Amino acid sequence: MTKPKISSDWMAGCSGCHMSLLDIDERLLEIAELADIRATPITDLKEPDESGVDVGILEGGINNSSNEEVAHRMRSRCKILVAFGDCAVFGGVPALRNMCGTQEALQRAYVDIESNDASGKIPNDPELAVMSNMRAIHEVVDVDLHVPGCPPDPDVIYYVLKELAQGRMPEIKDENLHWH
Amino acid sequence: MINLTINGKQIEVEDGTTVLNAARQNDIKIPTLCDHPNLTPYGGCRLCVVEVKGMRVPIASCTLPASNGMVIETETDSLKKSRNVILSLLFSERNHFCPFCQVSGGDCELQNASYDEHMTHWPMQPQWTNFPVDTSHPFFILDNNRCILCRRCIRACAEMSGNFTLGVEERGSATIVVADTNVPLGQSTCVSCGSCVQVCPTGALIDRTSAYLGHDKQMTVTRSVCRGCSLGCGIQIHTRDNRIVKITGDYEAENVGTLCKTGRFLSLDEKRTRLTSPMKRVAGQLTATSWDDALTTLAQNLSPLKGNIAALASTRLSVESLSAFKSLFADGLGSDMVTSIEEGRPTALQAKYVDQNGSAIEGKLDTLRTADCVLLIGADLTTTHEVAGFYIKRNMPKGTRLIIVDPHANGMDDLANINLKPKVGTDEAVFNALEAAVIKEGLARTAEKTSNVSLPDALKVCGLSEEDVTDAARMLAEAVAPVIVYGKGITTSSEASVMDAMLRVAKLIGASDSERRGILSVKGEANSLAAAQLGLDEQLEVRHEAVYVAVGDDYVTKRLVEKLEKVPYLVVQASYESALTEHAHLVLPVNIWAEEAGHALNTEGRLQFAEAALTAPEGVRSNLDVLNEVAKQLGVTVNEDWRTALTKRTSVVELEM
Repeated sequence: MTKPKISSDWMAGCSGCHMSLLDIDERLLEIAELADIRATPITDLKEPDESGVDVGILEGGINNSSNEEVAHRMRSRCKILVAFGDCAVFGGVPALRNMCGTQEALQRAYVDIESNDASGKIPNDPELAVMSNMRAIHEVVDVDLHVPGCPPDPDVIYYVLKELAQGRMPEIKDENLHWH
Repeated sequence: MINLTINGKQIEVEDGTTVLNAARQNDIKIPTLCDHPNLTPYGGCRLCVVEVKGMRVPIASCTLPASNGMVIETETDSLKKSRNVILSLLFSERNHFCPFCQVSGGDCELQNASYDEHMTHWPMQPQWTNFPVDTSHPFFILDNNRCILCRRCIRACAEMSGNFTLGVEERGSATIVVADTNVPLGQSTCVSCGSCVQVCPTGALIDRTSAYLGHDKQMTVTRSVCRGCSLGCGIQIHTRDNRIVKITGDYEAENVGTLCKTGRFLSLDEKRTRLTSPMKRVAGQLTATSWDDALTTLAQNLSPLKGNIAALASTRLSVESLSAFKSLFADGLGSDMVTSIEEGRPTALQAKYVDQNGSAIEGKLDTLRTADCVLLIGADLTTTHEVAGFYIKRNMPKGTRLIIVDPHANGMDDLANINLKPKVGTDEAVFNALEAAVIKEGLARTAEKTSNVSLPDALKVCGLSEEDVTDAARMLAEAVAPVIVYGKGITTSSEASVMDAMLRVAKLIGASDSERRGILSVKGEANSLAAAQLGLDEQLEVRHEAVYVAVGDDYVTKRLVEKLEKVPYLVVQASYESALTEHAHLVLPVNIWAEEAGHALNTEGRLQFAEAALTAPEGVRSNLDVLNEVAKQLGVTVNEDWRTALTKRTSVVELEM
């Protein structure tokens, strides 16, 4: 039997979920034994295999056109898509900006904020991704498994990866269920 | 009794029980958010829906009375799906993002309910609307973005404190919780009892002191008794790292969770400077010293003055401490002036009446909770003993009438059905006028047909109109369960004969008979009644060479400081610096209320034990330890049998020891 391929990527998040993933420490080796860890933000390979992976893990939500592309690419290349962490599951901290709107948030962050001098301006390079409202992943593509948490606890991540690596669907409940 | 079946289990419940409560009584868990065991069922959140055989759609169990033969299911797949949708709707309606909420992680009933349903996410897009956040209140914050419109706070405001400040404005998903006519909470009629915060299932109402200081599961909870006044409400002290994080009302106690701002918030808002070392006056300056030296100095200065020492204790001290205090100074040192800081102002008048007449005259607080007409005389229950005021206010919508007799402005004036403003110090004439009016109207519950008092004379003395007094007399006499509540206004300004006049009226209107004693005085601080029982209720006259004041953590009045500032040798046993410690020759630092265990005897004679919730700072001793130590230094043996000491004097109210 071939090992299941696992790939991950991050979008509008803080990378804390991946840090929490690294916090499973030596158990990472156990996962590496069970599964074939492919493209992730912390490995050399940067895109999930075009030939497809078994499990795709996405940290962060979707708040611009670049995130959308990442989400669609992962969805099209994986069998099981995991929304990983509160931003991916609900929108999380970046979703705060939806309360005031993207334009007002940009104006505040780049122009009005007290630490700025008079030269502050909103970046407008045409090569930048187009901003949108912050969305949870399930609002853009179908999600098979939600693993909430800000970030998810290392123990929860270990459980989820171990189950997925062995071809089982993890059950997120009781002590494994935290939205933070 | 009603017989019904829930999840295949045959159960029997009392008539009138809701299906939700029937399930609770039989350990069947039905999730709910808007229902609260201590509030009237509301049926707002719909999370408690159940399937009833024969009914077309699922139905909310919190407002569904159980009836005979009902067959109920609570855990079908269809119900689970419904609950999931209900929770998803609640989450998506407002800003319910858990990572930035204070109650997330165990203290949020909304989050916990979702965990119970194994919800990993909510599948609906949130409504990105900003709702108002009200931070104008000194003790808590109202964030409508976290609100699920369960209306527990509104019901608590009405049903627990009878204040009716909170309500809702707007319709549908735009509905928000507002104070009064949508004024900021800090400028509203809110009395800061905090009941709304205690019942809020989400982070919509959070108090400022406990916010972000940890979850309930990280706290140590100590069941205790509020020392704010003589009502002795049950409290739970939540501590973490030897610090009080919050105080909540104890639902298991007589006050059933209700507290006032004094009990819930003010004791956490302590601004006084703590005393942590004994101090003695050296060359005119208070200087820190050791306990050994302080006690030796005390013995050197007080030993020659035995019999010439006046002693005062705060009525916030425990029964144990007050009894030891009495034993030490009155019995041991033979002092002729051993009293409390209150000097018996709220208790001496009625205690002396009972001394002469031999039996208890006052009833229990429960008579107040069930009264249908209250005569409130000489007490403002909005400034002290607030919870007693809540007991009255919350029954007023159910028809309880309130008659206020107070020469001064009273905080409950606006609520009174009849408001009598007699001349100052004419309470006896008011009672005489009521007595004469009751008899004149032929409404007396007793056989009396004529009165010894003249209505016109009494009216002339108190300055009230015959019409007003007659209305009040009629309202009182026609009530089924009238209660007279009196306070310091009477006990400090009247002659002893006012008690006779009051009791005559009580008998005439049926407030007091062999079955029921509908008379209560609110008294003073936590152990006011215990102080009276121990005879610590004399008026202070200072003509002594030395004065020992056991202030504890009490406040001292300017009046007391003026009386004591010229005393040749002043010993102050206190927790905090004050104007009194500035004049002291010797200062002994002691525990605050939460640092020592002890008993309190509340206004209705109920003896309650309070555990210590905090460890005292180093260098500070308990009030009882210090008194025992002082006794040892002065060669006095303290009588430790405080129970007997308490019951030596006949009490104004039957004691429940």
